Amino acid sequence: RYVRQLQRLQLLFSPTAADARGARQFVEEEALDFTRRHPDVVLYVSPRSIPAPLLLAEYLNGTVREELIASKTSEEIVQLATKLAGQSGLDIVRIRKPFHTDNPSVQGQWHPLTNKPSALIVQGPRLQPQ
Amino acid sequence: IAKTSLTSPPWPEVKLPDPAEEAKYHAEVVQKVNGMIAAGQYGRLFAVVHFASKQWKITSEDLIMMDNVLEAECGDRIRMEKVLLVGADDFTLIGRPLLGKDLVRVEATVIEKTESWPKINMRFWKRHNYQRKRIITNPQTVLRINTIEISPCLS
Repeated sequence: RYVRQLQRLQLLFSPTAADARGARQFVEEEALDFTRRHPDVVLYVSPRSIPAPLLLAEYLNGTVREELIASKTSEEIVQLATKLAGQSGLDIVRIRKPFHTDNPSVQGQWHPLTNKPSALIVQGPRLQPQ
Repeated sequence: IAKTSLTSPPWPEVKLPDPAEEAKYHAEVVQKVNGMIAAGQYGRLFAVVHFASKQWKITSEDLIMMDNVLEAECGDRIRMEKVLLVGADDFTLIGRPLLGKDLVRVEATVIEKTESWPKINMRFWKRHNYQRKRIITNPQTVLRINTIEISPCLS
């Protein structure tokens, strides 16, 4: 079972601005294909009078990411949208370890006394074997 | 011949057991382990898997991140071959170097395909008016290991 972390994509653009041409082409041609390929993402298209076209992505943990799509071709916008659809809402910060486990040790964690004979069995030079 | 300090090697001499007896002992151990696997008496399994040119020690339900792009979409189930080692609480199965595919089955799903944090690549020479700055974001994929299963097919 896999749950996509992207909740909704809001495409804000203005129908008259010159740098929103790619956004308008994307809406005309590729928006339907994109929604068919990603059926669990909701795409809101709202033409408003905004100075610069934006692509808002909201994730299930509440983070909102804004990407500028001014003067980008529709293919670039499609690539951007697929990249955002594959991401999760976690912050893009340096991750210290590329792995994460909840149960790191199965056979018991090693400590310096594993695999060593106990002090009762070892025969020293003075102890007589009983 | 007189015995000096260099006649025999300094490590203790080990006598190897009889090959026939050893074969019987091996068969007995293998049967016992097979029986344990068939009865399902193992708790948590861990495995060492060779993936993306790195070896990972994985258990079920844990996350792994690689610095490359896989050809699978988000949500695809992937079966990992190239299993080097499988272990449980009481026994471990060591492969030389790999274990058979009908013995172990490691399944994982692709959760996320993101980019890394923006790394700065800058070159600067002093007194030469030369500096180049470039921001690099590597594509990354995050996998979650679902299950590790073993079947009693030892020989």
